[in-house]
Amino acid sequence: MFSDFAYLIVGLPVLAFVLCLFFGWHLPRGGGFMTALATFVGLIISWGIYKEMPALPNGILHQSMPWFANFNVGILVDPLAISMLLMVTFVVTLIHTYANAYMDGDPGAARYFAEAALFTASMLGLIYSDNLLQLFIFWELVGLCSYLLIGFWYRKPSAAAAAKKAFLTTRVGDVLFLLGIVLLYNNMASLNLHLAPGEYLLQFPVIYKYLALIPPTQLTFIALCLLGGAVGKSGQFPLHVWLPDAMEGPTTVSAMIHAATMVTAGVYLVARMFPLFYAAPNALTVVALVGAFTALFAATMGLTSFDIKRVLAFSTVSQLGFMMAGLGVGSVVGAASVGISIFHLIGHSFFKALLFLCAGSVIHAVGTNDMREMGGVGKYMKWTAYTMLIGGASLAGFPLTTGFFSKDEIIVTAYEYGLAQSFIPYLFLVLAAILTAIYTFRLWFVAFTGEPRSDYHKHESPWLMLGPLCILAVFALGFGIVAQGGFYEYVGTNFDHYGVDFAELGIIGGHVHGEEITGAEEVTEEGGVAKEGIVGEEGKVTREEEPSEPWYIQILPIIIALGGILVAALFYYLHKFDPSMVTSERDPIRKILLKGYYQHEIYTQWFAEKVIYGTSIVCNMIDIKIVDGALNWISEVLVAFGGGVRKVQTGVVQNYITAVMLGVVVLVVVIEIALQVGFV
Amino acid sequence: MIPVELYILLSSIMFTLGLYGLVTQRNGIKLMMCIELLLNSANINLVAFSANQPNANGQVFALFSIALAAAEAGVGFAILISLYRLYGTIDLDNINALRW
Repeated sequence: MFSDFAYLIVGLPVLAFVLCLFFGWHLPRGGGFMTALATFVGLIISWGIYKEMPALPNGILHQSMPWFANFNVGILVDPLAISMLLMVTFVVTLIHTYANAYMDGDPGAARYFAEAALFTASMLGLIYSDNLLQLFIFWELVGLCSYLLIGFWYRKPSAAAAAKKAFLTTRVGDVLFLLGIVLLYNNMASLNLHLAPGEYLLQFPVIYKYLALIPPTQLTFIALCLLGGAVGKSGQFPLHVWLPDAMEGPTTVSAMIHAATMVTAGVYLVARMFPLFYAAPNALTVVALVGAFTALFAATMGLTSFDIKRVLAFSTVSQLGFMMAGLGVGSVVGAASVGISIFHLIGHSFFKALLFLCAGSVIHAVGTNDMREMGGVGKYMKWTAYTMLIGGASLAGFPLTTGFFSKDEIIVTAYEYGLAQSFIPYLFLVLAAILTAIYTFRLWFVAFTGEPRSDYHKHESPWLMLGPLCILAVFALGFGIVAQGGFYEYVGTNFDHYGVDFAELGIIGGHVHGEEITGAEEVTEEGGVAKEGIVGEEGKVTREEEPSEPWYIQILPIIIALGGILVAALFYYLHKFDPSMVTSERDPIRKILLKGYYQHEIYTQWFAEKVIYGTSIVCNMIDIKIVDGALNWISEVLVAFGGGVRKVQTGVVQNYITAVMLGVVVLVVVIEIALQVGFV
Repeated sequence: MIPVELYILLSSIMFTLGLYGLVTQRNGIKLMMCIELLLNSANINLVAFSANQPNANGQVFALFSIALAAAEAGVGFAILISLYRLYGTIDLDNINALRW
């Protein structure tokens, strides 16, 4: 019965958007309770659908209606989508609740909640779209909401600039995404498929079904274009520059859009199209490399920043890199990597939303983002300090927290990938994991321990803010240990509901050889039950043997996490070492890191101002001199000709009469001659 | 019976005179009169050919033509009066607002 109300998951936030927009001004706290309530009802419906799904045909919920031409609108809820739906509705409900207190007193509160509701609706719509075009529409909508909310304090020039930067940077990716959709559509259309009624070309089930018929080179192109969209949205190198700047928005926006939900849309897109990527191994390799590089690259920048939110933003970029890499190394483990990556995505949403909300709580009290002015906050804000400690431990991968299980699995999978193909992603990810632990605890120690370094308001935040923190802390701590095995199984087998044959796709991609396939099939035939019993997290198709990692690979993540925390503690808590022993103000490496590898400068001063501006000047010249010039020349010739001819119009009637007369005479003479000669 | 050639000669002379006046004269009224000459030379032709043959079509047509000429003269003189009110003259050399 909940399935019949699936449309309400998007519908209610849209309703809340309209109500807040028009009536929020007259309601207490900008009508924020409506936004929170709408999302909460979405959570209930999602849970109901989750419970009903096994009873539905194929175990998925699919509703669709025709739109125009070859397109449709529809709802597709499969294990991948439902886990995202539950996570988004849950986390966003908590963030909206928190925002009710956080945004209290802001004159734009109604606008905030209207935009937040619109964002919620678009994000949920993005998740359960059943075709790529509809997904793209919601994809653009979340981009718009991100723009609006980053620039929420639009009178602040830096916020307006950050909003513009976010919009333009993601636009680069979105253009590629659209190109990918067009390419995919063209390829699908050129197959001349005989689609059953209710099937449309860009529907995901249809794409999965006929994927194998598209030429491999085309598949690689399409996959790379889609990856371009994901890189823009998920803040991967080289389009990550907008994400740290996006912290100009209210902290709840950072938690909701730029940590927990929207930025994961890119990862979700790659996961959603994973069969396509699997059939295009070159693109998958690019995914792995981009992800792993971003993970390390962003982590290094997180080390030096003093802005509490920017540190978290860099860590978000870094963790998104982990998720991408988790998908990218999927060429060795197949669809199971979707489970691994999405598990990290969801765990990350819990602890990163928690961290941002804690940071918001601190900023709310202290009134600044700068860690150097905090210090000792933990003494006055016990709840915030401990929930943030839990979030930080989870992010750093402290054993038995959520982040430990999810990140560990990605790193181990990267090791397997290393055995099969290349150790580069593994190396990057391990280094990134060490840095993650260090910068996370640097943040915590600097902000919450020691002595106050400035005079700030020493008070704890209201319970409306602390409640969501505590709930998120419970999930950041316990979700991993409770959900890990079952979750891999649940999401990792997502594509089995569509009957996607990963073995066949692997042959297209060329990274699974014929004999391995037969082996895999034998295993499946001999005893699926036994196999599932042993390796629960795997799909049916992939590894035909369980690679046994050496013990030091297994426990390496624990050492990494504890070591990183120890290093941070030595520097910033126990003060055994001083940071100035390793580095100084004039250290070039430190300067590069603090400046974010000068990427902003490279993009704006060099790329935008030199290359783009130079190209624009040349294009402008061509436009004015050649294109416009040709047109102007033609018109000038015509005008000159007309100017000559119009002299005939003397205004003297007699001249006209003379002309008529001469004309008649000539005509008569011509006719006479013609008659004489005999033409007529 | 007067031969038809003489009528044609008469109408040719009238037509040529009208044309000559039209080209040389500047006064609006004189131009109107010249146009009447042209029309009437055509009428003479119509009537002459009609009388020469046992057929009244040409004479009926000449009546139409006379009625048309009357209407044309009415419109023409109305225009000339307007011009006179506007410019204070009906010398067409001075009325050339529509030239290039």
